[in-house]
Amino acid sequence: MSDFDVVVVGAGPAGSAAAIELARAGRSVCLLERGPSPGSKNMYGGVVYGRILDTLVPAWWEQVPVQRWVTRRSTMLIHDEQALTVDFRNPGWGAAPFNGATTFRPDFDAWLAGVAVDAGAVLVCSTTATGLIREGGRVVGVRTDRPDGDLRAPVVIACDGVNSFLAKEAGMYPHTGAENFTVGVKETIALPREVIDERFAVRGDEGVDIEILGCTGDVPGGGFVYTNATSVAVGLVLSLPALAAGPDRPEELLRRLKAHPAVAPLVEGGEVLEYSAHVIPEAGYRMMPELVGDGILVAGDAAAMCLAAGIWLEGVNFAIGSGAAAGRAATRALARGDASAAGLAAYREMLESGFVLADHRRLRDAPHLVMGDLAQRGLPAVACGVMEDLFTVRNPEPKQGVRRIVRNRMRRNGIRVRDAVREGLRAVRTFG
Amino acid sequence: MLVAACVKLVDLRPQVDRVSGAVTPSATPGCSAADRAAVELALTLADSWSASSAVVCCGPAAADPVLREFAASGAGRLVRLDVDGAPDSSIVGRLLAGVLGDLGADVVVCGDYSTDRGSGSVPAWVADGLGAAQALGLVQVRSEGVGSLRATRRLDGGRRERLVVDAPCVVSVEGSLAELRRAPLAAALAARDLPIEVVDAPGVVVPAPLATRPWVPPTRVQPAPTGSAALERVVELTGALVERTPPRTVELPPRQAAELILEQLRTWGYLDADDSTPGGTAAT
Ligand SMILES: Cc1cc2nc3c(=O)[nH]c(=O)nc-3n(C[C@H](O)[C@H](O)[C@H](O)COP(=O)(O)OP(=O)(O)OC[C@H]3O[C@@H](n4cnc5c(N)ncnc54)[C@H](O)[C@@H]3O)c2cc1C
Repeated sequence: MSDFDVVVVGAGPAGSAAAIELARAGRSVCLLERGPSPGSKNMYGGVVYGRILDTLVPAWWEQVPVQRWVTRRSTMLIHDEQALTVDFRNPGWGAAPFNGATTFRPDFDAWLAGVAVDAGAVLVCSTTATGLIREGGRVVGVRTDRPDGDLRAPVVIACDGVNSFLAKEAGMYPHTGAENFTVGVKETIALPREVIDERFAVRGDEGVDIEILGCTGDVPGGGFVYTNATSVAVGLVLSLPALAAGPDRPEELLRRLKAHPAVAPLVEGGEVLEYSAHVIPEAGYRMMPELVGDGILVAGDAAAMCLAAGIWLEGVNFAIGSGAAAGRAATRALARGDASAAGLAAYREMLESGFVLADHRRLRDAPHLVMGDLAQRGLPAVACGVMEDLFTVRNPEPKQGVRRIVRNRMRRNGIRVRDAVREGLRAVRTFG
Repeated sequence: MLVAACVKLVDLRPQVDRVSGAVTPSATPGCSAADRAAVELALTLADSWSASSAVVCCGPAAADPVLREFAASGAGRLVRLDVDGAPDSSIVGRLLAGVLGDLGADVVVCGDYSTDRGSGSVPAWVADGLGAAQALGLVQVRSEGVGSLRATRRLDGGRRERLVVDAPCVVSVEGSLAELRRAPLAAALAARDLPIEVVDAPGVVVPAPLATRPWVPPTRVQPAPTGSAALERVVELTGALVERTPPRTVELPPRQAAELILEQLRTWGYLDADDSTPGGTAAT
């Protein structure tokens, strides 16, 4: 006998989105969360792109617990002490229907799980799914760490985040090598609201998102700075194998980023409230597990659906998109009384026809490209060098032509035109 | 025989501004570790004595989900005295004693003090209201047979006091005494809709929350320094080279010690001659 129609494991964005769809379709759904409350175990950089919520929670911006609405997006290239920043400001993002918002995960995840509970989902916290229950090779529920903790359901949706133990146990996860993962580390630094407003040149609820390349020394990766209401998040995303092989520790690399002349003035004098770390399924499309099994669907980070493509680090929206699709596919399968892999196959089709797999497929080379030597070292060094040569006035020497400056800088940094063109074309193919 | 635990709903993660002392509430209500230890002890005692158990809370409806967690862990009855806000400890103690008396509680277990600036006096008021024995601030409790407890209490200087307490009694325990057992999954699911007995508490006066701010000694009027050179004036202002009264250590019984401190504060000008509270502002 089943306890529920569906058990969703993990009350992160993916799990809550799945539970919302199922509960609204009138299905009994149990949302299991190992933390004492949704979001209590979760960390991320800080920006949620809410467009995907439009259909799930109309006018979500009136309810969602927001720190600031992002109205400035900057991309910064760092080389030694230099920095080149491309800064885009759009006050339009500061009004409905908005674009991105900084929000804290304990607030955001608890809010979204609350929407699921209001729709009728049963949220059970402080409970870890420890394994799958199978019958005849088919998943029919989960075991939990509570006494008498088995929960039976014809469909289990694994939304248990990166490194999903459930997907692994189901034999759906072939790509578990460390080369597919990065680790994100972050400090949350308290600063008075008016100091943040002044340093980041914003007003009221406006916020800033800065993505940084070239700030991770010998470890491939990137950095970020996000503004909350009265704190600033500063963090790094770092290649796991390179970290393991080299002498640098993440906290030391983060200290160096905070001391960089382009970042120090933004954070100095603040008080570190929190240091946190979390693994990211960096390789995206190339590491995705099987998404559908007999009685089981995998969504969100558990299915490596975080998009880590240099200028974009988006996971929450992909988790919500895939979780909601899993919820709808499970509803359909239950209506037909077929929770086999074939019955649940609509899940993959929904993802293919929507942004989740479309974006991932198009950008499947992006993680590799961004983590490559040219993007990590060459691009920041050449870009900063070119700026230096362009804007240093060397009278009585005459000015040099831009082409010559670029060629000189490429040579000085050991970059051959052939390699640059090849990588450039790859970038155009990937991002174009 | 009935073993009852008393718990209070508190904010588990309020943010306290270190400079102003201002408290920003969080969205994390719950019971303190000491209260959870109290429930565990009550359940353990009830199990070993084949007695019934109850959890009683004096608080708002927001406490209901937390109370249901205790039911999932095995508590027999859940009773909530419907009070919003934070009445004085003596009132809470009297109200709880009334309910516990009606329930017929023989042994009452409380947390040692609540984490929201609790005074730790509620258990004493409950004991007084019930006319029961009391043993407060316990770090260890063992059953010595039905209705009898052998307990260890923390004293100053790392010492311990061992006590034997018999029902009817009220004990309060530290959070380290026990960890609340994990509720079976089926019980946790079943407890979600469990009814809670709500007892009205009409006419309870809830004082406005204390407005607190850091205590700052009142300023005293100082004559301007008279020296002609800047250095002289600074030395005069700081009193650096002035002969001073050396600190002295006195050992006195508490009453005389307090009088001496007040006398000294009057001498330094921090207290008026007829004032017995420091400064007269924001006195705590
Ligand atoms: C440093 C860093 C920065 C990031 N920055 C951003 C950003 O700015 N914007 C963005 O959109 N994304 C960002 N991401 C990615 C984003 O955080 C994830 O993609 C997203 O959280 C995935 O959601 P999810 O629901 O799939 O998984 P998660 O958010 O990881 O949720 C999984 C949930 O499952 C629970 N769980 C796990 N195992 C079990 C179990 N066995 N039993 C019960 N419960 C379990 C966990 O406690 C958790 O609540 C960042 C990630 C990192 C690490």
